[in-house]
Amino acid sequence: MSADLGASAERTRTRKAAIPGPQPGPADGSTPLEPAVLAAPAAVAHASDRGARIVAVAIALAWHVAIGLPAVLASRTQFAAPTVVLGGWILVAVTGAVAGVRLLRSAPLPPWPLAGLLLAVDAAVFAAVGERQLFAAANWVWGTLGWFFVLALWGRRIGGLLALLTTHALIALGAVLAHGPGAADLARYTMYVYGTFSLPVAVFVGSAVIVGLARDRAAAAAAMHTLAAERAAAERGRQERRDRLALVGAAAGRVLGELAAGEVDPADPEAQRRCVLAAARLRRLIAESDDVPDPLLHELRAAADLAERNGLPIDLVAIGNPPPLPVEIRRRLADPLTGLLADARGWARLTVVSGPGEVVVSLVTPDREGPDATGPPLGEHEDGPVQHLYERDGDIRWAQTRWLG
Amino acid sequence: MGADPVVGVTGDRLIGVAIVDDHPVVVEGVRAWLASEPRLTVLATGDDPDEVLRRAPDADVVLLDLRLHGRMALDKLAELSATGRRVVVYSEHTDPETMLAALDAGAVAFLAKHEGREHCVATVLAAASDRPYVPPALAGAMVGDPRPDRPMLSDKEREALLLWFQSMSKASVARRMQISEHTVKQYVDRARIKYTRAGRPAATKAALLARAIEDGLVRPEEIGIYRSQATHDRPTP
Repeated sequence: MSADLGASAERTRTRKAAIPGPQPGPADGSTPLEPAVLAAPAAVAHASDRGARIVAVAIALAWHVAIGLPAVLASRTQFAAPTVVLGGWILVAVTGAVAGVRLLRSAPLPPWPLAGLLLAVDAAVFAAVGERQLFAAANWVWGTLGWFFVLALWGRRIGGLLALLTTHALIALGAVLAHGPGAADLARYTMYVYGTFSLPVAVFVGSAVIVGLARDRAAAAAAMHTLAAERAAAERGRQERRDRLALVGAAAGRVLGELAAGEVDPADPEAQRRCVLAAARLRRLIAESDDVPDPLLHELRAAADLAERNGLPIDLVAIGNPPPLPVEIRRRLADPLTGLLADARGWARLTVVSGPGEVVVSLVTPDREGPDATGPPLGEHEDGPVQHLYERDGDIRWAQTRWLG
Repeated sequence: MGADPVVGVTGDRLIGVAIVDDHPVVVEGVRAWLASEPRLTVLATGDDPDEVLRRAPDADVVLLDLRLHGRMALDKLAELSATGRRVVVYSEHTDPETMLAALDAGAVAFLAKHEGREHCVATVLAAASDRPYVPPALAGAMVGDPRPDRPMLSDKEREALLLWFQSMSKASVARRMQISEHTVKQYVDRARIKYTRAGRPAATKAALLARAIEDGLVRPEEIGIYRSQATHDRPTP
């Protein structure tokens, strides 16, 4: 017995057996609901984020091309260094287009080198536009650059964007001060800085909030779906138990009624057998308190049901939760015992003890007289990772399968 | 099946039993089971533990149905055990959590209702002398105990518990483990005694432990109780 049997600290309740009837889960025994719970919110958040990215890329490039470019071209003769202003515009257009495409493909360019390049262009353009064009539309960095900062730092914390915008504002302040500004220039500067901050920050923060909300809402919806599915499974299990209780209860009631009416003799072995069978069925119904399907227990339950229908009183007791097992391990654990169960007479006791690293299934039936023509060879042997053990000692036949993880 | 004869209980004196259950038919059934053992006498029965014990203050063992009037009587169980009442819990609720909770609360033993006459009589006789008795259902709960703070059992103790749970026959377990039936019972009982250190302290647990040490079933240092006290009491240099 390994020491880790029953060591699943995370488990707080025991499920005894699977819900009879069709199972919603895949054959490998994994719980079908979990991936949906994790994936759905992420998928919704991703879709929502993609929409916001398209918007941000469209704004940045449209602004740069539709508003920045005509102004630059119209005023190109009035710049202090026209080549630098135009070259900067082209560099940002190309870099911005690449960054936008990469962002839409979820493979963004490295943010800080990109930000450094943008700030360098910023400083160069401010130095090159000259005093007369400083606050004109031709100084395209005022209006455009903030949007490219948003692209560069997409999905990161707001602090980085604020730092970039602040640096941008300081560069602009340097340029303004260098030209010996009047009060009107400082007022205009303040207005421009406000303008360059407000919209990009609003889009940046807004999109993050929308993505977060979408994720939360999707998670809540997925959790509700899970709950509904579990409730439906539990309800179906309960209904099946109710149906079986009605069936079993009627059979028990019939025996008791006949006994009470004196129609059958309590000393009659057949009457005793009917009582034992009815009691075993009722006991199993009481013991079935699970509502989470487990494939191994489900298989054993099905075999026990079959044996019971053939008139064999059987106890099925399960302790602990079997870990998710590959189907061939489950077969090796369950099949030898379900085979023996079909051949059992008198009574049977089927037990399952499970821990995270060990599952032991055992079938005990009374030993019968005569040579055991149908039984497996006695003794211990290995079937892959599963140990099989068969014994008969005159009192009982004992078959055990044990998987050690 | 595998119930053990219990020897040397309380001399020739009859053992008084009180039965607390809210189903008269069960009370009558248990009374009939206990009547098969001449050393046992039922002193009082009823569905209210306080009332039953008022009528039978000298009861050696209380058989308590854990579910009384739709409620789990774990609080009552802990209260009785703390005052030294030997309570044998019997219930149709045989999920391992419930059984282990009953042991933690101080029950001397836990018996599943379907475990029948032999186990019931053997459990009550053992309880009367503060000796452990582990019916198969309880053995299953102990061997599958998932709690991180569960008592540390030896490999042999775990194997004996597992096989006893599976087969319900100590003779078969003995053949399988190639040891004597007596040794099987020792392994099982030692595992049970280790559970006296789980949960809150109770007079009944102390009594079980003391008797186990007296019987030579466990050594004090195996349980760790006396050694820790000795460490505590050591004078500071």
